[in-house]
Amino acid sequence: MIFPIVGRRFLQFLPVVIGVTFITFLLLNLLPGDTAVAILGTSATPASIALLRRQLGLNEPLLVRYWHWLTHALSGNLGHSLITQQPVTTVLAQRVPVTLELLILAFLIALVFAVPVAVLAARQPKGIIDRLSATAAMFGLAIPNFVLGLVLILLFAQHFHFFPATGFSALGSGLGPNLRSLLLPALTISFALFAAYSRMLRADMMQQLAQEEYVITARAKGVGEPRILIRHVLRNSLFSLITIVGVNFGTLIGATVIVESIFALPGIGSLLVSAVYNRDVTVTQGVVVILAVVTVTVNLVTDLLYLVLDPRVRYGSL
Amino acid sequence: MAVSKVLPPALAQRVGKFRQTANWRQSLDVWVPAGILVLLVFACFFGPFIASVPGPNAGSLLDARLPLFSPGHILGTDAIGNDLLSRALYGGRISIEVGLGSMLIGFVVGGSLGILGGYRGGILDIVIMRLLDMFLAFPSIILAFVVATFLGANEINVIFAISFFTVPAFARLARATTLQLRERGFVVATRLLGSRERDVLMRHVVPNVIPSLMTYGLLTVAIAMFIEAALSFLGLGIPAPQPSWGSTIASGQQYLSDAPWIVLVPSVFLFIAVASLNSLGNALRTRIESH
Repeated sequence: MIFPIVGRRFLQFLPVVIGVTFITFLLLNLLPGDTAVAILGTSATPASIALLRRQLGLNEPLLVRYWHWLTHALSGNLGHSLITQQPVTTVLAQRVPVTLELLILAFLIALVFAVPVAVLAARQPKGIIDRLSATAAMFGLAIPNFVLGLVLILLFAQHFHFFPATGFSALGSGLGPNLRSLLLPALTISFALFAAYSRMLRADMMQQLAQEEYVITARAKGVGEPRILIRHVLRNSLFSLITIVGVNFGTLIGATVIVESIFALPGIGSLLVSAVYNRDVTVTQGVVVILAVVTVTVNLVTDLLYLVLDPRVRYGSL
Repeated sequence: MAVSKVLPPALAQRVGKFRQTANWRQSLDVWVPAGILVLLVFACFFGPFIASVPGPNAGSLLDARLPLFSPGHILGTDAIGNDLLSRALYGGRISIEVGLGSMLIGFVVGGSLGILGGYRGGILDIVIMRLLDMFLAFPSIILAFVVATFLGANEINVIFAISFFTVPAFARLARATTLQLRERGFVVATRLLGSRERDVLMRHVVPNVIPSLMTYGLLTVAIAMFIEAALSFLGLGIPAPQPSWGSTIASGQQYLSDAPWIVLVPSVFLFIAVASLNSLGNALRTRIESH
């Protein structure tokens, strides 16, 4: 019963990934500017430009070039950077772990705060914690992350000197400095996440409390209110949290572009910014492909997780 | 009542109901953010004509980094002496134009595609939704970022770039609402009575899809303003001589400890705009949902 659904999901996954890469390819290649001129500079002779164009395969039709790129990409070759000549996969391999660590940290911080706050807010609607968290959420959703990042730098790095303002020290050079360099950027990202998660989770818990029969059953057999909230309602509400995490993932990736630029972190987001500035088409494409594939995969995984966790979905009764 | 002439019938009916049932205290959550937004739009577009404000680029280096409440510059000046109030007001124009522009493109194009796909179903629906899904697979800001850079940074292109996000988002919502409406009694009845498809769509489906699109539209304007500010902050949005909230914030970045107000003033404007749009959208949504 579960396998046909998984199979159908995978079949939808492939066309989206191919479509996304094709659109990117089209977009980057139809735009004005000649890649060969970009590499050699405007002072190059027409002969050498023509030679390089032939070497890069730029004279081939667009569809043929996309096919070449796709088959190479599938065998793990994303081409070479037009600026530094490094293989794109090597560059990505250096950058991806930084972003991954940042995202995981931001995600954990957001969850650690959002879940207890949501439970306490749902326990006493319109109570002090509910009102405070509503206000915090309003700020979290309306303060742009680049402003929040700058404020955090001003407060904690320049004023109190708790954290380094910018820069990154790798995990290899010790966990302490590594976490110190990532904490401010992770906090910047997690504030908006906290706002979204805590409000959604609270709303879902309130709805379950008001409508679901299992809550009535639990109350009727004398289960205490805190236990109902945590063992029964929270467990069910976590499903919708998983959905939100999946839906919000795109926003999360978008935030890394900004935050990595502000805090000068050598992640995939700042790589994209510099590649776009330098018109480095191959690197831009590599980053976009990775991001698109990851986003689509996350959506797929959240759908499947739903399937695994909720028996009602699995047996088709919902 | 005048309202019923301007608004589509389905929405006018809701507004009417809301007028009857709600007293003024309960409707504060609508009027406060709506009032702030009207004030903000008025200040940005007409403020410079009413009170004399120096031009957004008319500052001199002698006045650089004046603090808040300086004579002649109420909100201070930026790193090269431009008046921050003036930059915030003129930047607000751009922010509002970009927000409304990309929302309207999403509303009209995305809304039509979604209604058409949802109502007709079949292969058309599949093609439209799969195509739009590809754009939704991109994080919105990265899509806007790539499109804006390669189209060239100016206001119109920023609007187009953000529309790559708003069109699929509106289409999804319009399609979901249409799918529900298609099976409702009054739509089925009209169809069975032999009305032309165009009439069913224009008279019965579209007016009932519009209210949910409109509340979502407010949230979309907020997101679009956010993306515009982020693009301009990264130097990929509104080009240099034109003031924008995002680029003004970026210009204050290096003077953060000496002159924090350069970052603060445009940030507060952006915050007020986005927070009001979000609260208004949420307040209207809970009202429409509860009816």
